[in-house]
Amino acid sequence: MAKLKSKLGYTGAAFTLVIAALAPFLVYPQLSKGFAHLGLHIDEIYAGGPKVRTIQAAGYTIDIRDQVNPHMFQTEKPFVQLDWKPARSLPAHISDAVDIDGDGKPDVKVSFDVPHDPKTPLRVNVDSLNPRYESMQDVGKKKFSALIVRVDDAILVRIPVKQ
Amino acid sequence: MASDSLPARQSRSVVRSFLLTLPIAVWALLMASAAYGHANRAQWIASVVTVLFMITLFFMMMRTSSTYRWRRWFFVALGLLFPVGFIHQVMVFRGTMGIPIEEMIAGRTPFCFLPIPLLILPAAFTKALVFPGSILPNGGMSGGGMAAMAGIWLAITLVVGKGWCSYACFFGGIEEGMASLPAKAKIRKIDSRWRYGPWAVLLAMVLLSLALFEPAYCMWLCPFKAVSEYVAARNTIGLIQNGIFIVLFGGLVIVLPLLTKKRTQCAFFCPFGAFQSIFNKTSVFEIKIDKSRCTPCVLCQKSCPTMALTDESIQQGGTLMSCMKCGACVDACPKGAAVWHIRGTDVAVKPERARLMFLYAAWAMSIMFAGGIIAEGLATILHVFI
Repeated sequence: MAKLKSKLGYTGAAFTLVIAALAPFLVYPQLSKGFAHLGLHIDEIYAGGPKVRTIQAAGYTIDIRDQVNPHMFQTEKPFVQLDWKPARSLPAHISDAVDIDGDGKPDVKVSFDVPHDPKTPLRVNVDSLNPRYESMQDVGKKKFSALIVRVDDAILVRIPVKQ
Repeated sequence: MASDSLPARQSRSVVRSFLLTLPIAVWALLMASAAYGHANRAQWIASVVTVLFMITLFFMMMRTSSTYRWRRWFFVALGLLFPVGFIHQVMVFRGTMGIPIEEMIAGRTPFCFLPIPLLILPAAFTKALVFPGSILPNGGMSGGGMAAMAGIWLAITLVVGKGWCSYACFFGGIEEGMASLPAKAKIRKIDSRWRYGPWAVLLAMVLLSLALFEPAYCMWLCPFKAVSEYVAARNTIGLIQNGIFIVLFGGLVIVLPLLTKKRTQCAFFCPFGAFQSIFNKTSVFEIKIDKSRCTPCVLCQKSCPTMALTDESIQQGGTLMSCMKCGACVDACPKGAAVWHIRGTDVAVKPERARLMFLYAAWAMSIMFAGGIIAEGLATILHVFI
């Protein structure tokens, strides 16, 4: 029994050396691929909800994303994200009434300035036309659920939804 | 018993040491050529210096039969050069060490291994990763994405178990360097209950991450935010978070290692270290105490940087599961009673064979993962002069 255990131990050690030798060529790439195929996704509080609709405006589009609801005791409020893009084609000032839920009536009126310099901080005003959505006055990037930021070639506005 | 065991610090001939180093030298050259195929001059020099550094240290391990003191040079270099290369990259990409909310939303927060245990439960319940990064490469500072880090962590963990904390962790080197500076410890008596600290932090952070659906450790307690990147202080909460990072870094990584000569952050705080201890059970390599040779002088216990040896564990002939296989106890033991061991084999039978097999595997992983980090940090410094 002791001899068998010893042989198993050395076999395990030799196997470990084989794994080490194959690590950069086979083991690590396969494990990474396996992880990527687990079907996991980044939490929507960070990534935003999936796109549900696109509104065509004059020279730009507004993507409307699905509502994101916080899990458990997450400190953020539920929100919807609207993406104005491409940012480089936006006029100097945006003032759009947006129908978020697709019922044909505008739910919010969003207005913000689009500075030339992408590094200039953005501020947004949101007037609620539907009591489901919260108004925001002169908001920058206070919280994940209430903000305006430029990400690559899009300007994202997140509007809190009343619980 | 102990047929061909090498008594502590018996040296090998230069020729034999050289021959034993050859496989590692070939491996180091292979890894360097793959990583630096299109290198600029500074990167090329840094790569050559790193390869020579890693080969020389392995040669000295073979020549002197001592592990810890040579591994420590590598580990401190890794700990010091990681922030150099990382902070330089952060400044180039975004001009600040603070993570802007835009970068989080874009999924370009670099992902290190520390939050891995915190992501498991939220992912198990909702399939969502509560980290503002990306699974696959996404430009900016996202590196290879979370999948790459998860893959490399799993591969190295399969090979060395908790040896990760001695051969791959790019944070532990700073405190190991600090712990090696004073000749003697000013604080020698440390309550052994502090050893449960990492488990307590792990439990608290796992539950908090699940409840709040955020990487709670990264948000509130990671000392290494002070030398990598931090939450951009947009409000009072952000200021408090950054204050905590600086206090924890100063206390656990700088001051306490100087006073105790221990890796205090690793031994008493790091939740990832506690999580990684579980994988010591899956590794075939371990450290054992040959009770027939042990006096016991407890030099091994004193030398252990993470307090993974106790009177009880020595009596039982082994280490605690928090042992990170750094080899300090083996080097410290004057009787050759602390030995490298392969699970299932008799204790102290061919311990040098066990040491060699472990070191080949561990050093290969160090070169593959940490070698690139050392070279990158070195190249950043060389860019100033070249």
